[in-house]
Amino acid sequence: MISKPLFKATIKQNYIVFLIILAVLMLYLPIIITMYDPATQDSLNEMLAMLPQELISAMGFTGAGNTLLSFIGTYFYGFLILLLPMIYSVIVCNRSLASLVDKGSMAYLLSTPNTRSKIARTQALFIFISISILIGFVTVIGITLSEIEFPGELDIPGFLLLNLGALLLYYALTGIGFFASALFNDTKNSLAIGAGLPVAFLVLQMISDVGKSTEFLKYLTIYTLFDPQKIISGDDFILSFITLVLIAVATYIGGFIAFQKRDLPL
Amino acid sequence: MSVIEINGLTKDYGNHKGIFNLSFQINEGEIFGYLGPNGAGKTTTIRHLMGFLTPDSGDASILSMDCRTQSADIMKHLGYLPAEMAFFNGMNGMQFLNFMGEMRELKDTNYRDELIEKFQLDTKGKIRKMSKGMKQKLGIISAFMHNPKILILDEPTSGLDPLMQKLFSDLLLEEKEKGKTILMSSHSFEEIERTCDRVGIIRSGELVAIENMHDLKEKRRKTYVVTFDSPTSAKSYKENTHFDKMTVEGAVVRLSVLGNVSAFIQSLSNYRILDLSMESSTLEDIFMHYYNVPKITEKVDNQEGGSL
Repeated sequence: MISKPLFKATIKQNYIVFLIILAVLMLYLPIIITMYDPATQDSLNEMLAMLPQELISAMGFTGAGNTLLSFIGTYFYGFLILLLPMIYSVIVCNRSLASLVDKGSMAYLLSTPNTRSKIARTQALFIFISISILIGFVTVIGITLSEIEFPGELDIPGFLLLNLGALLLYYALTGIGFFASALFNDTKNSLAIGAGLPVAFLVLQMISDVGKSTEFLKYLTIYTLFDPQKIISGDDFILSFITLVLIAVATYIGGFIAFQKRDLPL
Repeated sequence: MSVIEINGLTKDYGNHKGIFNLSFQINEGEIFGYLGPNGAGKTTTIRHLMGFLTPDSGDASILSMDCRTQSADIMKHLGYLPAEMAFFNGMNGMQFLNFMGEMRELKDTNYRDELIEKFQLDTKGKIRKMSKGMKQKLGIISAFMHNPKILILDEPTSGLDPLMQKLFSDLLLEEKEKGKTILMSSHSFEEIERTCDRVGIIRSGELVAIENMHDLKEKRRKTYVVTFDSPTSAKSYKENTHFDKMTVEGAVVRLSVLGNVSAFIQSLSNYRILDLSMESSTLEDIFMHYYNVPKITEKVDNQEGGSL
């Protein structure tokens, strides 16, 4: 049960930021895939060796084994996939409810025969579908490009699992953003949580990667639940996936309840 | 039959802000004016009627449905004009009206087009670039276009020029003819005077009075400023007549008249009058004169061109 006209309006409002983020992702993905060439691996490693080890660790560029999957897993899923769709998620989540309440246009939506729940459901569905399409694009393009450049080299089931992990991560992150958007009256507070939390998570993730003394920080960031190398090697990632799903379910449901119950200053 | 019912509605924001134990009913087919200075609680009351807020105590219902829990059902019969114009980014006027129509599953757009024609709204312009008056017209059309049984209008004429205000008053009277129930809030007595059957006056979150418009006019005290041909005649006028609050300043006499003005006009007939004008009373004056309530010290915003 969603409102079709609102869904359409939301698509119209957000497709440009969607396309921009997709375009940037599509700019990097081919570059990284074509960089995988066993022949040039050494020169890449040499180049990385010139940079401080801490910087490389912070960017997650470590343990780039020697398969194509592990290479993409390191250079694309180690950092870029954590950053770019996050920007999309932050913008879209904030726009979904908080910005409508902040600007006051929510008053118009609620003066039509549509319940708050229906409006929240519509917006949540848009976030959920659009982030799935975004990660879906990356998956399909990643496989296609790999097959063109290096036929038969990519471990496709492993790549799919990696993307499933990224998708679950984003269900959880958009859940947090949606919850913040549903809970707060103004964009300022919605962004403080909806954007502040993911960014803080990312920074903690980068710091915790740097060395032993800061490793404990990994318990404070959601990105620990998405570890490309563990997923690729098949090490106990199931529990992480389940945790991400639980976070997503809890935050989306929390968002619905919060928006249904609270006072709106319209 | 009462269409809108408010019983003991209270929402306390602390610091004496909010609304306190409000109760009133609005009957089918009447235009109810909700009058009060800015910050008195008019919009807070309306937000409860729209189901945006949960009351601390008491309740509000429309067509016997609870405003908070059944608001989506109520909205099938209701048109709403918010006090603040906040439309959607990037839409033009027509896109907004189409969007609102779709959200309401409105099929028949004849009345909408009639209203666009009547208010001479250019619907092709981007809303972002519209003037305040244009936005107000757009809001009015959006509130009326689905021909709802009940209309809740929060300061509907702010931003409209006098010609459009007149057009709007006529529209309200037409809607009343159709049997609509209308609640309109205002801080301008003149605006309410033109159309309303009954007036509820709210001040600092409490309902001061509910009056029949006719009775209210009777009680209304008007201040006249009369300019005589000379200070001597002004003085003699003051000595020979007895009106309230008479002051003489050179040839100018200022006085106030309660209710019937014919005695006042007769008293002038023996004098040569150079000028006669009426001072419009502010809402505060009206409160003081009608209800003897102490003047509130908080700033009363006079943004509507001093029409208070």
